[in-house]
Amino acid sequence: MAAVVSVEALRKRYRRRDPWAVDGVTFELQPGQAFGLLGPNGSGKTSVVKMIAGLLRPNEGKIALFGSEPGNPESRAQLGFAPEDPDFPKFLRASEVLDYFASLLGLDDGERKRRIPETLAFAGLDKERRQVRQFSKGMKQRLGIAQAILGRPKLLILDEPTADLDPLGRRDVRALIESLKDSGVAILLNSHLLSEVELVCDTVAILAKGRVLKEGSMAEVVPEGRSLEEVFVELVEASAPKRDQLPSFITDADVR
Amino acid sequence: MNGVAAVARYTLLELSRRRILLVFFIIGALGIAAIGAALKIVSVTSPTVVSGGFGPPGSAQPDQALIDRLTELQFVSQLIDVIGFFALLIAFAIGMTAIYHDLESGAAVGIFSKPVSRLSFTAGKVAAALVAMIVIVGLLSLETRLVMTLFGGGLEGALWVETVAAVANASLLMLIVLALSTWMNNIIAAVVAFVYNGIAGVVVLLHTALDAGSLGNNTFIKAAIDIGYWIVPHHLMSDAKRQLARAEFDLFSASAQGQGGPSLADFVNSVPGASSVQDIVWWVFLVALFAALVYLAVRRRQV
Repeated sequence: MAAVVSVEALRKRYRRRDPWAVDGVTFELQPGQAFGLLGPNGSGKTSVVKMIAGLLRPNEGKIALFGSEPGNPESRAQLGFAPEDPDFPKFLRASEVLDYFASLLGLDDGERKRRIPETLAFAGLDKERRQVRQFSKGMKQRLGIAQAILGRPKLLILDEPTADLDPLGRRDVRALIESLKDSGVAILLNSHLLSEVELVCDTVAILAKGRVLKEGSMAEVVPEGRSLEEVFVELVEASAPKRDQLPSFITDADVR
Repeated sequence: MNGVAAVARYTLLELSRRRILLVFFIIGALGIAAIGAALKIVSVTSPTVVSGGFGPPGSAQPDQALIDRLTELQFVSQLIDVIGFFALLIAFAIGMTAIYHDLESGAAVGIFSKPVSRLSFTAGKVAAALVAMIVIVGLLSLETRLVMTLFGGGLEGALWVETVAAVANASLLMLIVLALSTWMNNIIAAVVAFVYNGIAGVVVLLHTALDAGSLGNNTFIKAAIDIGYWIVPHHLMSDAKRQLARAEFDLFSASAQGQGGPSLADFVNSVPGASSVQDIVWWVFLVALFAALVYLAVRRRQV
């Protein structure tokens, strides 16, 4: 089966003297597979998914998105990308944003009329008439997920999709991922919420400082009797000096 | 093509909701109406104020029809400057926001992850910016045309051509701001474009003075000004100012018959004329150059 996305020896740094933000990352994603990309802040997860979406250019390595380069607009036709901190043209309303993106996806009038109200209803934004600039972070995140699924993608990239969502929103996203997986859509999930990743992902890679520390199926990465969180903390702490303890003014009983 | 149309359509919708453009438009519209009304009131209540500087001392006062005509000339002359000024303000307002806000807010992340090329995105943005500029300046010109009916009319052609020139000049400035704002803060981009535009104005002025022989014949100065002239935009101008000068001269001649004075040719030649074909070709080249720079800046931009 042809891989939906294939990443090979990917390297990225933002300035010549900077350390590598992504350093030799390699993985493949098959249709119907849910792949979790885990790592502490600054480990390079968002850089990886942005390179796959054609938003950043790698310094080295190869990416094949549906068999061609991500810079090619055609290859992005089957991609849905929900960014970590989504934003939109701020003077548009949610329905206008979706209509704008539906136009970019090349959906005809009939499809737009069908999909937009349903997608808005799924995102809980169907009754929202305000412009995006008046949206809360959670509402923007819902709209970010809505625009990502609008084109019925074959690869859905979710970068911290539930960070600003309430528990109900998180449940809806989990249900969405399960449903898309069942219909053969590949999912690439970046998340700090390890319990969530454990629930929905078949395969995971743990990154730190741009490098893959461990990769494999959930059973391979998490031995029986242990949790993903324990494995994650152990691997990440082993790759970096232990963080300082709490500030002294917090722990010192004499300080008022 | 779908991508260009979608980007242009929703950029226009966004621009139409930006208060800054609405504020500029309202100030411009009120300013034009105020200038027209004030001149009309002055021309009716105190015709000598309007015609005060008109004709040599002791010349006969022109009749009301001539005063109306002169008032219209003065009105059109001021309006040409007002429209040019507001076109530049609008160019800054659109240039600073049309692409910059998408790139800086993160809206571009969603847009660029869709199957739209950076070329289509740029083309859509530039098309929307130009349409917005043409609509706003066009509406101000239309208002000017309506106000001109207070004074009789007859200079509509000059107004329309000058409007086209104002839009052309402002469009070039807008492209410069758009290009700069893709790789620097939009306020800094506007300041840089403003300074560049100011330098261009000075250089063109010096070149005009050089052509008129006012700056002597120093070869070094001549070469320096010539080089400077061909690296800055040349503000396009219609023949309006000369038409106005010619019309004023005709009125002057009518009211000062037999009293001598400068010849029509001397008087008209002292006023800058319409831009040459060379200037228009230079404008087209610069528009293409800066549009290409906008595209290259958008293309290399990582979001």
